[in-house]
Amino acid sequence: MTTPSGRTDAAHTAGPLPSDEDVAAELLDFLAQRTRTRWEPDQDLFAVGGMSSLFAMQLVVHLEQTYQIAISGADLMLDNFRTVEAMVRLVNKLRSPAPGSTGE
Amino acid sequence: MSETTAPAASGPAQQAEELFTELVGDRAGEWDRAGKIPREVLRELGARGLLCAQAPGIHGGLGYTSRRNGALTAHVGSLCSSLRSVMTSQGMAAWTLRRLGDAGQQAALVPRLTGGELAAVAFSETEAGSDLSALTTRLTRSGDEVVVDGAKVWTTNAAYADLIVVFGRTEDGVGAVVVPASAPGVRIEPITDAHGCRAAGHAHIRLDGVRVPADALLRGVDRSSALLVTTALSYGRMSVAWGCVGILRGCLTAVVRHAVGRKQFGARLADHQLVARHLAELLIAEQNAARACEHASDLWDSGSPDLVTAVVLAKHVAATGAAAGSARAMQVLASAGAHDGHVVARAHRDAKLMEIIEGSSEICELILAQHAVATA
Repeated sequence: MTTPSGRTDAAHTAGPLPSDEDVAAELLDFLAQRTRTRWEPDQDLFAVGGMSSLFAMQLVVHLEQTYQIAISGADLMLDNFRTVEAMVRLVNKLRSPAPGSTGE
Repeated sequence: MSETTAPAASGPAQQAEELFTELVGDRAGEWDRAGKIPREVLRELGARGLLCAQAPGIHGGLGYTSRRNGALTAHVGSLCSSLRSVMTSQGMAAWTLRRLGDAGQQAALVPRLTGGELAAVAFSETEAGSDLSALTTRLTRSGDEVVVDGAKVWTTNAAYADLIVVFGRTEDGVGAVVVPASAPGVRIEPITDAHGCRAAGHAHIRLDGVRVPADALLRGVDRSSALLVTTALSYGRMSVAWGCVGILRGCLTAVVRHAVGRKQFGARLADHQLVARHLAELLIAEQNAARACEHASDLWDSGSPDLVTAVVLAKHVAATGAAAGSARAMQVLASAGAHDGHVVARAHRDAKLMEIIEGSSEICELILAQHAVATA
């Protein structure tokens, strides 16, 4: 779920960055494939009858691996994974060179 | 805590198993009876980074993969489940710091754990066991400090720990704070009559008006405990699962030796069919558990989201397998293994606890059932 050597800072280097639209489309596909349900970008995944906290952790791992980001500290909160839109914002924020150098 | 760029996984990687074998020697039974592992043993292993070997090189760790650390964990589990439990706690503490801490907190704290200080993670309370959303320990901001008030139960490694990662309730939700065990207001009450893993340093912890700097509160604070706790426990579950593989291996070795060496009714025990079945079932349990753990660790190492359920499944398969397998081992060893400190007697008691901690068997089954429903 993280690389053994703890690559957190060296991560976002390779390849062109996908746009927010690409990220949203990829996430909607991922959700559809995992849950066999179509979701809307602003739909709450964890509302009553929705997904479990275990699924939230799957989203954490998926985002880290797919976008070569590290999600920790203040970013590790359920609201960041509640909707596709929120996840797109998180990916965008963590891929950008952090304004405060470490993101905190 | 100067941040070095030491190369990962160089040096002691190959000799790690031998070092544990040497340090434990034939003393696991003695530690079990005394309910204590000598602190210098833990310090030495800790200072070599071997109690949390997955911590990355940038934090002074060995940078083991989950698979490599799993092999080591199983080895230690075959020698002494109490020591393996200490590893589980130390590793889970390092992992929790890495996930809930920001970059600065990670850089300040993780190197202390790879450098020899011992750490525990305190989740459970009297009224909050499987349901950790019921936590009542309070983490209250007071100027540039955080005040910690509450009571934790059954915290593994707490009797040895220098640092305790305490989960509790903040004004904003749920979070975790790093508390020095020596801080005023911390009272550690070792559990001296534990059913299993007797030397794992289990303790109850009282926290009365404990003041720590505000920065000791890890940045990961969420409205609900769910994601934070799930994340922290995943490491613990993986470690327990590998430890149970070790329990089964320890039993298998002891049982085979006994069943081949002892004759009754003119034949080796191993040649009596009802005994042979116990041997087969032990082997099956060990292999099942090992495959489930290898699978989960490989998913962990490749960053697959499937790791989340695979870890729960591995924990469940390994813990139930170890509980059932160690009971069979007791049955075969009979009076030869029926005394405190014997490897099989320890396994029998220790394995039962593994069905209880880090998500009871029933909680694991509920999680797996939810997964089956959600993906059907």
